[in-house]
Order: sequence, then C-alpha cells, then structure tokens
Amino acid sequence: MFLINCPYCGERDQSEFSAGGEAHIIRPKQPTELSDDQWAEFLFMRKNIKGVQLERWNHAHGCRKWFNMVRDTSNDKIHAVYKMGEKPPIK
Amino acid sequence: MLNYNSPINDQKEYSEIRITEVEPIIKLNLRGKKRDFMTKIGKELSIIPPSDPNTSSGNEKFNILWLSPDEWILYSNDKSDLNNTNFLEEKLFNEVSKSKIGSITNVSDHWTMLNIKGKNTFDLLSTGCPFNFNDFKNTKGAVAQTLVNHIDVIIHNKDLNNLNLFVRRSFANHLWSWLNDSSRFF
Ligand SMILES: [Zn+2]
Repeated sequence: MFLINCPYCGERDQSEFSAGGEAHIIRPKQPTELSDDQWAEFLFMRKNIKGVQLERWNHAHGCRKWFNMVRDTSNDKIHAVYKMGEKPPIK
Repeated sequence: MLNYNSPINDQKEYSEIRITEVEPIIKLNLRGKKRDFMTKIGKELSIIPPSDPNTSSGNEKFNILWLSPDEWILYSNDKSDLNNTNFLEEKLFNEVSKSKIGSITNVSDHWTMLNIKGKNTFDLLSTGCPFNFNDFKNTKGAVAQTLVNHIDVIIHNKDLNNLNLFVRRSFANHLWSWLNDSSRFF
C-alpha cells in the first residue's frame, strides 16, 4: 500500500489523491505583455525531474485541499508534505 | 416544489450486518473561516463545529462532522419534516450567509444516509475501501471521508459497530447494490 500523509487528514491511501503537477510556478502578472512563446513556457513547460521534485497534490476524495509534496520521482519516496503558501522544507 | 427524494427506501439484513436508509433527515453544509462563524453556529445550535480533523461534535439533536479546515456537514439525529429543515436553513442562512461570515447550503437531498450496523460492518467496508479502520472503529464520533468501491463517502462512527455513511444521491443506488452483493459473503 502506498500511503500519502495529507497535512490535514493524516495518512491515507494514494488512491484518495490526485497529482497536480509541478509546484511553485508563478503566474505572470501581465499575461497580455508576454509573447506566445513566453506564455507557452508558463503554461506547458515543466521540469519533469528524475529525482527530488516539488509537486502539488490534492486530497480529492478526502478533505479536497491542495497541498505541496517533496517527492523523489525515481523511487516514489516522499520526503515531506507542506501546506499551500508555505516554503519547501528542504532544498 | 421542494421535496425529499429518496433513491432507496429500503432495509436489508445479512449475517451480523444490517443496512438501512435513514430518511428524511436535515443535512446542511457549513463553510466558514472566521471566529464569528464558529461562535454564531455555537450560539444557534449549541454545538461548536470541531476544529480537529476527522472528528465530530454533537448533542441529542444534531451532529456536526469535520470535512475540511473550513467545511462541515450538519445532520439531524431525528427524522424531520420539510418545515423543520426549511426553518433551520433559513435561520442559519440569515445569521451566517447574509452577514457574510460563512455559507449555509441545504444538502438534504444531495447526500443519502445509510446506517450500517453489526459485527461485520467494518469487514464489509474493508473489502472495498483503502481506509485503515483500526483506530477509527474504536473512536466514537470519528469521521472519515474516503472511497468505498471507488465511490466518495463520508463515514461517521456512531457507536460500536454502528455507523452512518453518506453517499451522493446519484451514486446511492450503485453503492447500495455493491453493499448488498458484498454482504452475502459473510
Ligand atoms: Zn486531507
């Protein structure tokens, strides 16, 4: 069983969660001033790291809150979870 | 016209499992973050919404279950008529929603409540649920939101081997069929 520690509900099975992609991507303040390339960069381009990655997750079938996770994509080891708006606890 | 619509209206009994649809009861969704919201709800219902995750609070009339840091569901213990529901909803709506300290939504028809009791209750759920019931089943008033046979549910531990399970109305028949099929194995 693959458990994820929701910062609100505690440890739950992974099937209750959904992944939301890379975390800490900041939306440009003035999208109208960007070129198509710059906008596409924000919208689509992700690091897709093999190794430790900062990600957004949602406890979709529990409290339905979003939170962040530090996960090693090569072995699924979860190093930390932290709430939205908080700074990553490691790195 | 407002009306209660029950998708099931049934009761089944198996070996050490009894499943009953309980209706009609009041269910209200409460949302709020402010301190005023807590005190207002506390004053109106004489129950404070619990701030601890996976817990509930209640008295002889109502239960308030924790769903999220700013969301709760309230339900009545007793069966009620539409007038009662409308009166309570209107009273809370005027006190909370109108003064913009939170929101009150009537979800009486949105959730279907099943009561499951008997020694095999948790074994039955565990056949299709990823949640660990070890601590849960010994904690009176505990609340869990999880999946049963891939269907979203809210489970409220009422008493020893006696729980109330909330399922969305549109999924209620599907879950009902699954619970009945799975109960036959015990
Ligand atoms: Zn959660």
